[in-house]
Amino acid sequence: MSAATRASRQGKESRQRLLRRFRIVRLVRRGRTPEDSPDDAAVRRRLGVGFWLAIVWLVAIAFVALFAPMLPIADPTEVAFGGPRESPSLDAWFGTDALGRDVFSRTMYGARISLAVGGFAIVFGMVVGGALGILAGYYRGRLDQAVGFVFFVLLSFPALVLAILITATLERSLLVVSLTIGILAVAPVGLLARASTLVYAEREFVAAARVLGAKHGRIIVRELLPNVVIPMGALTLLGMAVAVVAEGSLAFLGLSVAGDDAISWGKMIVDGAGLRDLQNATHVAMLPVAVMFVTVLALNFAGDRIRQYFDVKELPF
Amino acid sequence: MAGTGHAQLRDRDDVLLCVKDLVVQFPAGRGRVVHAVSEVSFDVVAGETLGIVGESGCGKSTVARAIIRLVDITAGEVRFQDQDLAGLEGEELRKVRPNLQMIFQDPISSLNPRRRVRDVIAEGLAVWGDDIGSWSRDRIDELMDAVGVEARFGDRRPHEFSGGQCQRIGIARALALDPKVLICDEPVSALDVSIQAQILNLIQDMKSRYGLTVMFISHDLAVVKNVSDRIVVMYLGKVCEIGATEEIYSRPSHPYTRALLASIPEPAPTVDASEGDIGDELPSATAPPGGCRFHTRCPRATEVCLEVEPVTEQVGAEDHYVACHHPVAVEISPR
Amino acid sequence: MAAEATPAPAPLLSVRDLHVRFPTERGTVNAVNGVSFDLYEGRTLAIVGESGSGKSVTAKTLMNLLPRTALVGGDVIYDDQDVRALAAAGTKHFFGVQMTMVFQDPMTSLNPVKKVGEQIAETLRYHLGRSRGEAWDEAEDLLSQVGMPEPARRVSQYPHELSGGLRQRVVIAMALACRPRLLIADEPTTAVDVTVQKHLLDLLDELRRDRGMSMILITHDLGVAHGRADDVAVMYAGRIVETADARTLFFDMRHPYTEALLRSIPRIEDPVKHRLDPIPGRPPELVSPPDACAFAPRCIYAQAGCLDGVPELSGLVGLHRFACLNPTGTERGADALAANRAAGTTAAGLALPAAQAGTG
Repeated sequence: MSAATRASRQGKESRQRLLRRFRIVRLVRRGRTPEDSPDDAAVRRRLGVGFWLAIVWLVAIAFVALFAPMLPIADPTEVAFGGPRESPSLDAWFGTDALGRDVFSRTMYGARISLAVGGFAIVFGMVVGGALGILAGYYRGRLDQAVGFVFFVLLSFPALVLAILITATLERSLLVVSLTIGILAVAPVGLLARASTLVYAEREFVAAARVLGAKHGRIIVRELLPNVVIPMGALTLLGMAVAVVAEGSLAFLGLSVAGDDAISWGKMIVDGAGLRDLQNATHVAMLPVAVMFVTVLALNFAGDRIRQYFDVKELPF
Repeated sequence: MAGTGHAQLRDRDDVLLCVKDLVVQFPAGRGRVVHAVSEVSFDVVAGETLGIVGESGCGKSTVARAIIRLVDITAGEVRFQDQDLAGLEGEELRKVRPNLQMIFQDPISSLNPRRRVRDVIAEGLAVWGDDIGSWSRDRIDELMDAVGVEARFGDRRPHEFSGGQCQRIGIARALALDPKVLICDEPVSALDVSIQAQILNLIQDMKSRYGLTVMFISHDLAVVKNVSDRIVVMYLGKVCEIGATEEIYSRPSHPYTRALLASIPEPAPTVDASEGDIGDELPSATAPPGGCRFHTRCPRATEVCLEVEPVTEQVGAEDHYVACHHPVAVEISPR
Repeated sequence: MAAEATPAPAPLLSVRDLHVRFPTERGTVNAVNGVSFDLYEGRTLAIVGESGSGKSVTAKTLMNLLPRTALVGGDVIYDDQDVRALAAAGTKHFFGVQMTMVFQDPMTSLNPVKKVGEQIAETLRYHLGRSRGEAWDEAEDLLSQVGMPEPARRVSQYPHELSGGLRQRVVIAMALACRPRLLIADEPTTAVDVTVQKHLLDLLDELRRDRGMSMILITHDLGVAHGRADDVAVMYAGRIVETADARTLFFDMRHPYTEALLRSIPRIEDPVKHRLDPIPGRPPELVSPPDACAFAPRCIYAQAGCLDGVPELSGLVGLHRFACLNPTGTERGADALAANRAAGTTAAGLALPAAQAGTG
């Protein structure tokens, strides 16, 4: 019985810990008359050090991506900046690739497309999926069935095949690649929005708004949206992480943004993934992979912390 | 059918709300239908408090929700000031809504957690076109003061308040539009016992201050007695007994009313404790019993109760109507 | 068992100075703050309180059901055994056998995908080592003992096929399966209708009498406690503020909270549209409570002394005890109230209307 073992640990430690607690607790705020304030224990939450580390990394990457051309780094397209497949050195921090291009500089420039594709895709998914999900969850009935059908078709269709279809038929511009990934984000985001809308639409404050005479549009915007959007918004970073990885996957298939000057992390990894590179110059693929990994990790971590942070407790214990 | 009839409807000029043969049914899948409310009739006179009492599944909340059109009315009429609410749709319905407001059971669930309480209370004014200007700000402060929530807490969000205070905020929201009818759906059953009396008194105070007509729905017989002028006892979507509160409590006539009064932990003196022994099983609302719906649990049931649905008839000389083939004789007290 | 006629029998359950704390992100919640009581064989103790009073936490502590994060202090002695040590040692066949519990929501104790008979039989097989067949027959027998109509049919039904009242009967049957000596009922009738509530309370009472069990009845409803309990303990902010035999508590209470609570509740015998006498304010925060009587801010008797330290329970365990410096129904209390009325306010700053005389 796990309950019993649990209690054993408690039993031994509890007295000392209790005594310590007592002293600490007594020192904290005392003496409030109940009617004085509804609850001045402003719920103190912390995001934690890890969150801020993640944010620092993301801000740095975003800064580099935005201002890459102005930074004192090598031209990422300059062939034979150094010798081919040179190991990392003080001149070329990440070494050079098979064509002698500076991998560090290419990684910095690569952030531009990777982040742009990730960001645009998730915004598209949030707006379209979120809107469809909320409408379906609020109106129910036929609309719900229709939207649900679209979502399930999107989910059932092999994502990669869809991506290949779109990117292969259309020109592979930044917009098309972003849209492709964005469309794939619509159904998961939409289902999430629909599910949380269903929960909130049942709540009595929605009934109260109807009784007051609020129109459907007002109820959706004033009552449901704030409740549904905040948890969804917190998922933006998580979604962006997925989108960045998705771009990498497309690049691996040669279906990311076309053009030699359109550098993305995914394409760099492909460049470094030839057999000779992997045997002799692992840095060509591994260093962009590392940057991508840390970025995705930071996105996931920060996103998860934000989600917890906005998890409103409605009942104070 | 058990508990139809219009004998209890009053022919008076000041009837504000008249519910006649109200039927509410919900689809229950596989072609079955939940008979939530079946041909219920009652009326409410201006300035009166009508209590509706019954156990879970008796349809009391559905009646309330049907009147304010939160659920669809299957048949019957809900006449409010010469307008049949049952037939209204769209903009016409929306225009009547401010007249009938509601207080909900769960004070926490009935407030949007993401909005400030001042905005929650002002929502009605905002819907009807008032910008939150200085005039309505005064109005909100006045309302907050009236319900006993300090105006300086207006910028806080609902989770910073206790359940009792959330219920006060819900009351202020309902009153902002100057409604004529206030429907209270189990307004104190989610609150702590020491808070219930505060809210019950507040509803009484608001009633006299704003000249409201109140419908009060509760499963708690003592609470209903405390607030109501007139009472409807419901069972399985039907009216059992209806009349002046004093009449119902001092001379309960329907076996079900008597069972309720005998079941509460400190039974009413007018009934015998054994009258509470009516079996646990509430029949399914998808296939309610024929004849009188209470016959499956009724100690007085006979052949006729299985076949024929009783119609409300007056008992005694006072305002007291019962839908039962074998009502418990109530002696007419000398007045 | 022969009934021994010793002058002072040992209590079946003895709780001493029980403390429970929950560390939360808002600070430590002081859920139970030094609760002591005795329960004798064959008696029913009702623990009455509002949400947050610590009544349910007390029950869960007895049953070793607290979450891992809870900090517990104090002693729980059951029949000369240290319950917390038993829990610590992972003793089998104690919780659920000697002591069992019935919860408010029957669905929390029932497995929705198993037949109710199987669930009762499982208890019997695990704790008492019955064979499959024996256990099944016994389950059916138990169901009939708890007044389940058509037990032979019900035994192979699933929980969702039963009404709330019948589900609670199944839970009671499960709780009684191993013939416990102590049954803890935590708000057993809060989720059911009044007519069903009466039946369940009658049933529990009957079973307790027939089997000579002891019972702890946890409830927020004074009406439920009234007439069903031998002794009543009223809890407020994690403390027992008054405890006595039921008659004394309801008709000759000393603690102002007990008095105010009884006064504020609408009763069936009150006249129609009777103005209620509410308790002002609201229950206190359990995070870092002030070093004062927790009820003082809402109490019409409060004096300066009430704000200076938490009043101790008076008297001896087993007698009428109350934690109040100016108890109602005493001269001290009457003087305190008169002084407060004259001043128009209590020492804690609660405004008192001068009207309305008498203590009650």
